[in-house]
Amino acid sequence: MSNPMEQFVVKPLIPLEIGGVDVSFTNSALFMVLAVVVSSLLLGFCLRKRSIIPTTAQSIPEGIYEFISGLLRENVGVEGLKYFPFIFTVFLFVAFGNLLGLFPYAFTFTSHLTAVGALSIIALLFNIGIGIKKKKIGWLRTFLPKGIPFALAPLIVPIEMISFLSKPFSLTVRLVANMTVGHIMLKIIAGFVVALGVAGVVPVLFNSCIVCFEIFIALLQAFIYTVLSCIYLGDALHEH
Amino acid sequence: MPQLDFSIFPSQLFWLCICFFTMLFIMSKLIIPRIAEMIELRREKIEGNLEKAAEIKAEAEKSLEKYRKALQDATNDANQSLLKTQQELQAMIERKQDDLSAKLSAQIAEGEKKILNSKNKALQQVNDISAEIAVEIMKKLDLKDIKIQDFEKALKTSLKD
Repeated sequence: MSNPMEQFVVKPLIPLEIGGVDVSFTNSALFMVLAVVVSSLLLGFCLRKRSIIPTTAQSIPEGIYEFISGLLRENVGVEGLKYFPFIFTVFLFVAFGNLLGLFPYAFTFTSHLTAVGALSIIALLFNIGIGIKKKKIGWLRTFLPKGIPFALAPLIVPIEMISFLSKPFSLTVRLVANMTVGHIMLKIIAGFVVALGVAGVVPVLFNSCIVCFEIFIALLQAFIYTVLSCIYLGDALHEH
Repeated sequence: MPQLDFSIFPSQLFWLCICFFTMLFIMSKLIIPRIAEMIELRREKIEGNLEKAAEIKAEAEKSLEKYRKALQDATNDANQSLLKTQQELQAMIERKQDDLSAKLSAQIAEGEKKILNSKNKALQQVNDISAEIAVEIMKKLDLKDIKIQDFEKALKTSLKD
């Protein structure tokens, strides 16, 4: 039986080094590129013919659009619609990363702490950026909420900082853990197919069910990642 | 666990940034405007149609009002002319009745006069005839000294009684 962790190994495809730092084009990077290309082509294909009365294909991107804008309106408010492209991209990037990973022999970059962590860092920097842009120096109030005596600052500020930084961390871990576990389970059960001979039909059927379930999980986790990003964005824009 | 190999972090971050920002660019410049444009167009069209529907409805209500008013006017006119005709007819009937009754009473009066004349004439004739009969009787009885004038006188007196 092959090692179920083998699928997560990052292999460099094109070695690359910039300023002494290894930035090789890996299989993980390949699937990131694929997520971009596939999602763009798919949406572009769906939108090739547009009409007032939406065609079946057209209603897919429109459905995603309405869904994300509803999410933003609910969690951030109308002013959140300015950041619509960012949230829209986050959702599609994660969703396609998850879904593409479900293909056999594919690599799931959303199962990697380093990849999702990088995405979360981008989201965090984005939040900090718009927070500072909106509230200027008052943004630092995030770490010392109003109405708290200054004497408590040495205690409150570190706590608030940890809570602020743990948000993207929890976001990352949730997604990574879900993706990793799903893929390990698929691999382990797939390993039984050959070992069981004719009775291997059972794990094949079971795996088919799990794949359907994983598709659901892939979309659900993309949704959760997006919702939480929206909520953190709302926190950055509003007093709390 | 390969996930915990942080030596690949620079590569992951580098490629993720490239991919994510490329995708952000594609989405915000190509995909999202195409979706938003259609949705906006649809919303405008629906609103326009709703507005038009409201306009048409108002117009319909206005014409209904107009129709109702015309109907009311026509009914009033009809009632008035009906009343007028009725009055005219009533007047005509009364006039005709008056004419007829006047004519009839004139005819009745004339008839009565005629009857009276005939009666008088008949009575006169009866007198004359009775006088003549009396004379004839006298002749037959040979009573020559009694003249016809005496009889007439006697008759008149008897008739007076």
